[in-house]
Amino acid sequence: MSIIEVKDLVKTYKIIQKEDGLKGYIKNLIKPKYNEITAVKGINFNINEGELVGYIGENGAGKSTTIKMLTGLLSPTSGKVIVNGIVPNEKRIENNKNIGAVFGQKTQLWWDLPVIESFRLIKKMYKIPENEYRKNLKKFTEILDLEDLLEKQVKNLSLGQKMRCEIAATFLHNPKIVYLDEPTIGLDVFVKENIRKFIKDINKEKKTTVILTTHDLKDIEDVCDRIILLDKGKIIYDGEKQKFKDTYGKYVIAEFIINSKNRTISNLDNATILEENEKSLKVKFMHNETTIVKLMNEISNYCIIEDIHIKEAELEDILKEIYKGAHKC
Amino acid sequence: MTKIIHNISLYFSFLKASLKEMLIYRLDCIVGMISQIVTQLVEIIFIWIVFQNTDNLAGWNFMQILLLYGVTLISIGISDFCFDALYDIGPKYIREGEFDKILLRPVHPLISIIGSSKEFTALGYFGLGLFLTITMLIKLSIPITIILVLKIIFFSIIGAAIIGAINTIFSIASFWTYRSNEVIWSFYRIYTFAQYPIDIYNKFIKVLITVILPFAFVAYYPSMNYLGMNSNMIYISPIIMIVLWIIAIKLWNLALNKYRSTGT
Repeated sequence: MSIIEVKDLVKTYKIIQKEDGLKGYIKNLIKPKYNEITAVKGINFNINEGELVGYIGENGAGKSTTIKMLTGLLSPTSGKVIVNGIVPNEKRIENNKNIGAVFGQKTQLWWDLPVIESFRLIKKMYKIPENEYRKNLKKFTEILDLEDLLEKQVKNLSLGQKMRCEIAATFLHNPKIVYLDEPTIGLDVFVKENIRKFIKDINKEKKTTVILTTHDLKDIEDVCDRIILLDKGKIIYDGEKQKFKDTYGKYVIAEFIINSKNRTISNLDNATILEENEKSLKVKFMHNETTIVKLMNEISNYCIIEDIHIKEAELEDILKEIYKGAHKC
Repeated sequence: MTKIIHNISLYFSFLKASLKEMLIYRLDCIVGMISQIVTQLVEIIFIWIVFQNTDNLAGWNFMQILLLYGVTLISIGISDFCFDALYDIGPKYIREGEFDKILLRPVHPLISIIGSSKEFTALGYFGLGLFLTITMLIKLSIPITIILVLKIIFFSIIGAAIIGAINTIFSIASFWTYRSNEVIWSFYRIYTFAQYPIDIYNKFIKVLITVILPFAFVAYYPSMNYLGMNSNMIYISPIIMIVLWIIAIKLWNLALNKYRSTGT
C-alpha cells in the first residue's frame, strides 16, 4: 500500500502585481492588484513504504511547494494528499509525529546549546522511548562520526558538522517518512558521501521512505531508485532511475585528443560537436545512429587522433538536455 | 488531558533551554535588567511628583498607588519572562522563515514560540515589583499572612497569564505584517492605564481596561483586595484568564490556517 498518495494536486498562489515607481507602490498599498500563479498544476503520484525517491526539477518547478503540501505547511488549492493515512493539512501535528524534514541550511537545533541538548529536547518532543533513543544515538554517532561534536555548541560547528548533526536529529524518532530538501548543499565531498551512506543504511534497516530534493544529482545517482521529474508544475517523468537513463540517455560523449589539425571541423555525420579547439574535440552521438569507429574515420580526415575518452551520459547531462527542450519528454 | 500536560511540560523544557542559551550572554542579562529597573524608577519619580500636588488619586494615597504599581510589575515580569517571544513571531519566525521549522514539530507552534522566550532581564521588573509590594505592605501596616502571600503568588501568575493571552491575540498580526512586534507593543502599553485606580478615568477607558482588554484584572482588582478595599472582582480573574486563552488560541489557529493557505 502506498504511504504517500497524491491526486490531482494543485496549488495556486495569489501574488501582488508589482508596479514601477513610487506612484505604483502607493497605488499597490491602497488597492493591490493580484496575479494568480499556479505553482503545481495537477500532479499525481504514489510512493510506497521504503522507497528512495529523487524529486527533481529546476528552480521554480514547484518542488518546494509540493513538499510543503506533503508536510502540511501549505494547504492545497485542490486535489488530495494522504500521507500514512492522514491528510497532513488537516491533522498537521499528528502527521508531524511520523515525519522528519531537513530544509536546506535551516537548523532545527538549538543554536547556542550543545548538540546533545537539542537531541534531548527532540527526544522529549517526540516521546522517544529511552532505549530506542540510546540505540539510535549510538548508531548515528557511529555512522555520522558525531562523537566529538555532541558536547559542542551548535554555533561553533562547521557547516558539514552541523548538517551531520541535523541529519541525526531528523532520524532520531524513527520517522516513517523523511523529506530532505538540499541536504548536501555547500558540503564537501566526504561529508556528502557520509550523509548519503547514512540515508541508505537507515532506509535499508528501517524501511524509512525518503523524498530527496536536490540540485546535486550525484545525491540522486547515489541514493535514489526512483525519479520524479517536475517541470513548470507538471510531472514529466516518474519511474525508475535506470530506466530514465536508458530512455533519455542513449547518447555517448566522446572526447578526441587531436594533433596537427589543418582546418576547422564544421560538421560530422550523425554527431554534434560540443567543443572544439587545437588539442581536443568533444562530440556527442546516439548509439543507434553512428559508431565510434565511423567517427574516427571521419575525424582522421582532418587531423591525427592521439587518444579518445568515452563517457556514458550522466544524469546531469540528461537533465540538462531535457531542460533545454522540455517538450521532448 | 495528557496532551495538555505533555504540551505544558514541553513548554517548560523549551523555556529551560532558552534560559540556558540566554545565560551564556551574562553581560547582556545584567545590562538589560538594570535598564529595565531604571526605566521603571523614572515612572515612579513621576508618580511621586504628581503626589507633591495632591494627596490622593481617586481615594488612593501614594503608598497604595506604589503597591498597585509593584503588583503590576510582578505580573509584567512573569509575563515577559514566559511569553516574550510572541514579539518575535513576525520579525524573526515569519520573516526569516523559522516558522516552517516550528510548524513541523509534533507540538502546537505557540508552545514552541513562547517556549523560546529569552527575556531573562524581566527579572528586573519582577524584583522591583516584589520590592515595592513588600515594602508598601509593611509601610501600610498590612499583616503579611500566609493567605496573603499565597493570594499574591496565585493572582500574580493569573495576571501574567492574562497579559500573555492578550499579547497572543495581537500576535496574530504577525501573519500579515513583519512588524507585528510593534502592534503587540502598542496594545500592550494599554496596561499603563491599569497601573492607576480606574476611577480616575472616563467611561471609555474604564470599559476598555475592564471589558475589552481586561488589564484591570491583572493588578488593579487584586491590589484592592490585598489592601482590604472589599473587592471581590479579583475572584473573576481566573475565569477571565481562561476565557481569554480560549479566545486567543481559537483566533490564532484560525489565522494560522489562513496563513497556510496563502503561503505568504
